[in-house]
Amino acid sequence: MGGEIIISANLEKDWKDIVHRCFRCGYCKFTADYSDFNCPSYKKYRFETFSTGGRMWTIYGLISGEIPWNDQVANVIYACSTCGNCMEHCKFDKFKDFLVDFIEAAREEAYNQGYCPNKQKALLERIENLEMYNPYGEKNSENDALKKEYDLPDEAEWVYFIGCTSNYRQKELRDATLRFLKKANINFTLIDEHCCCSPILRTGQTKNVKEFVNYNLMKIRETGASKVITSCAGCYRTMKSDWTKYDNSTDIEILHTIELIDGLIKEGKLNFKSELNQKVTYHDPCHLGRHMKIYEVPRNILKNIPGIDLVEMERNRGNSWCCGAGGGVKIGYPEWSLEISKERLEEAKNTNASLIASACPFCRTNLNDANREFEMNFEILDIIEIIDNLDYEIN
Amino acid sequence: MQNDLILGKLEEIIEPSFVSNRMEDLYIYSQDPGASLPRKVDYVVMPETVEQVQEVVKLANKEKIPIIPMGGGLTLSGLVIPLKGGIVMDMKRMNKIIDINSQNRYALIEAGVTSGQLLAYLNKNHPDLQPPIPDAPPSVTIAGNALIHGSGYLSQKYGDHGAMINGLEVILPDGEVYKFGSCAISDYWFTRGPIPDLIGLFISSFGTMGIVTKLSIKLFPKPKMRDIVFGLCKDPNNLPELITKITHREVAEDILLGIQDKPDWMKGYTFIIVYITGESEEELNNKTKILKALYRKANSRYMKVPKHIEDVFLEKPQFAAKAADFRKGGGFEYVGAFIPLQLIPKLIQIGTDISLKHGIVPTLGARLIGQGHSAMFFISYSFNRADPKDMENARDALHETNKAVLEVGGIPWKAEIEGQQLILEKMDPNYKKLLKAIKNLIDPNGIMNPGNWEVK
Ligand SMILES: Cc1cc2nc3c(=O)[nH]c(=O)nc-3n(C[C@H](O)[C@H](O)[C@H](O)COP(=O)(O)OP(=O)(O)OC[C@H]3O[C@@H](n4cnc5c(N)ncnc54)[C@H](O)[C@@H]3O)c2cc1C
Ligand code: SF4
Ligand code: SF4
Repeated sequence: MGGEIIISANLEKDWKDIVHRCFRCGYCKFTADYSDFNCPSYKKYRFETFSTGGRMWTIYGLISGEIPWNDQVANVIYACSTCGNCMEHCKFDKFKDFLVDFIEAAREEAYNQGYCPNKQKALLERIENLEMYNPYGEKNSENDALKKEYDLPDEAEWVYFIGCTSNYRQKELRDATLRFLKKANINFTLIDEHCCCSPILRTGQTKNVKEFVNYNLMKIRETGASKVITSCAGCYRTMKSDWTKYDNSTDIEILHTIELIDGLIKEGKLNFKSELNQKVTYHDPCHLGRHMKIYEVPRNILKNIPGIDLVEMERNRGNSWCCGAGGGVKIGYPEWSLEISKERLEEAKNTNASLIASACPFCRTNLNDANREFEMNFEILDIIEIIDNLDYEIN
Repeated sequence: MQNDLILGKLEEIIEPSFVSNRMEDLYIYSQDPGASLPRKVDYVVMPETVEQVQEVVKLANKEKIPIIPMGGGLTLSGLVIPLKGGIVMDMKRMNKIIDINSQNRYALIEAGVTSGQLLAYLNKNHPDLQPPIPDAPPSVTIAGNALIHGSGYLSQKYGDHGAMINGLEVILPDGEVYKFGSCAISDYWFTRGPIPDLIGLFISSFGTMGIVTKLSIKLFPKPKMRDIVFGLCKDPNNLPELITKITHREVAEDILLGIQDKPDWMKGYTFIIVYITGESEEELNNKTKILKALYRKANSRYMKVPKHIEDVFLEKPQFAAKAADFRKGGGFEYVGAFIPLQLIPKLIQIGTDISLKHGIVPTLGARLIGQGHSAMFFISYSFNRADPKDMENARDALHETNKAVLEVGGIPWKAEIEGQQLILEKMDPNYKKLLKAIKNLIDPNGIMNPGNWEVK
């Protein structure tokens, strides 16, 4: 009461005029019930500097010239998985929606000032490499072999955008998706895709993003597709909410595989013929959950799989603990990234689940890495892989 | 000793990752969310154990370096920004809930436990108990709040939070561990007495006497049901009597007043927010009836409020930080004045006049403390953090308010340094003499948050 919160939505133009409005009150550090710290960065570093509020004030200090850039201050800006817990729990409506945008904008500033850390810079170098176009440093897979293997046309109604993690690191997930789409009789094809740009957008290395977006959209349009489907939460968010900043045409609908599956279940077209008698817990990927507000779709799928006993971790949905891979943290802070995942696995242990399901190849990678490193003995699978292991019919 | 040598020594005591003299950390700890100007910090440390606190204090005492204990750092009045440089000791890694004694209703906790943490812990593990917490954000510490005579939703009924301290463990400037309250004699941290009560030395002394590492704080039974009976009062002169009557009937858990010019319908009225609790609907209905009758007799009106608004007021802690964005600027600070009830109408006038004079929308209110024994009356000034002139305007308004409050017989609470000096000017000389003597005895080198309560 007593005033009105007005935030201009033109972030690119105005973010420097808004960021100081953080009060540094600290709601953003917590889970919804305040029982624990839920900002991975604050929980590790513990100085106020590394809370969201401290980060906002640091950003303000930098843009107002009160403090200079150096490597340590850049570390404050980069030591954040952009998980979005702060956006969920900050109490200032509208303002809170921009918190991660502020951090990404500050990273852009860091990059421009020459303070993007080398490890994160490697992402851009690889993505820009004409032999690669992906952050993993692999030779670009033009996807021709896959197209042949799965007998895919040049023109189709849908494009399956595989995403770099699935194409170069989580091939089982990619193949499970391909098999599912075939079985669902989706008229789809693949493109010679270049990175969706999630890794470089999240780390502030945006200068060539427009070219990549244009290229990918051109390739998609060449196929005549009106729908793009992906199993990657990071690609999904990037295509759906970042690409539109570079190309605001609306001719292409973006879907996550789980949306297709959920639709088929709801229409009664997808029927499972075998059971999975296991206790399963679902890890909400930040890209899909807090950033895109998709919480119930994956749960609905899991609940519909016969035999599954779906149990929730204490922190779930908007309150989830991040897997620690995002925002350049996995490449920039590999050990910390695994520590964050370890905390998630420990939380999963409390549910007595033996299988952790997710809907993001990057979460799957990091949770699996921690699972191996700390010998936690979980099975960690993407929802599409769980389905691929079952007998099912699609009518 | 040279700075880097001190840093090295601090790093021998506490893991280096929790010791800093890095520019970016000093920048953050040199400011708080209130209107104070930034002040120099030399080091920030985050101890995890009592021994680490002791060793840092011993080092600071030997080297005569100021040391400033910090909880959430959210008083808004710059109390954890050093006045003379030195080490800010952020206590929030000392966050163990050591014991909940549900029979005697107290929590023994470390000084870094936040209000959010204790609230959530009790909700989960002792749902029949509730903690005394302020309406400050959940990141404030129970210790930081109790140690400044904080108040909250239980204060009307049970008194200010300082009065709810049963016992303290404190590291004094000599680096030794001292215990106060029953814990000095018994294993139970259940009461302050019956021994000479020295706990008061640490309340509202703003970290100038020692560093609290543990405290026992009273807990209270949680009633089954909680509701609010809102009222509107046109003439502020009716308020003191109305409040006395409400407290006399013992129907209220918490009583808040709100006076503000926005939204428009609130202008010219005092919004009365009386919380009632009970074990049954019938009990709540009876209390509501009593309150409605009292409102009527005091020429005030009962007011029905939509459920979604009521829910906002029922939240614990209430979201009171909204004022920070009134001027689109991430900042507000308030004078919270402890006053006797009869000063309420005067304070409404003072607050309104000073706000308008400074071009700030009047945002005032009060929380009753201790069954009508006093009220904490706040006059809040929002500012735009990015505009130095606007911040200066807020500081001027705060200073003027402190003066006016003291003139009419109130006492500014958790006062910033300028406010403390105004209080000291008015303080009985013998009180000051004693305060100075005690301070010199406890802290001969003047290392504990120096500058605060400095008797000149
Ligand atoms: C939006 C908002 C609403 C608020 N509402 C209320 C309210 O309803 N009721 C209320 O009482 N207050 C309120 N406050 C004021 C203040 O935030 C609280 O009183 C808060 O609890 C102070 O605790 P802290 O941990 O932030 O203390 P800090 O600011 O960290 O410390 C307060 C003082 O205690 C000293 N101190 C802290 N820890 C120790 C220690 N371990 N040993 C020795 N000294 C120590 C510090 O040096 C300082 O002088 C509000 C503030 C805000 C921003
Ligand atoms: S981001 Fe929001 S909740 Fe966090 S400190 Fe800033 S204003 Fe407070
Ligand atoms: S995005 Fe996550 S890690 Fe980053 S500041 Fe917000 S809560 Fe913390």
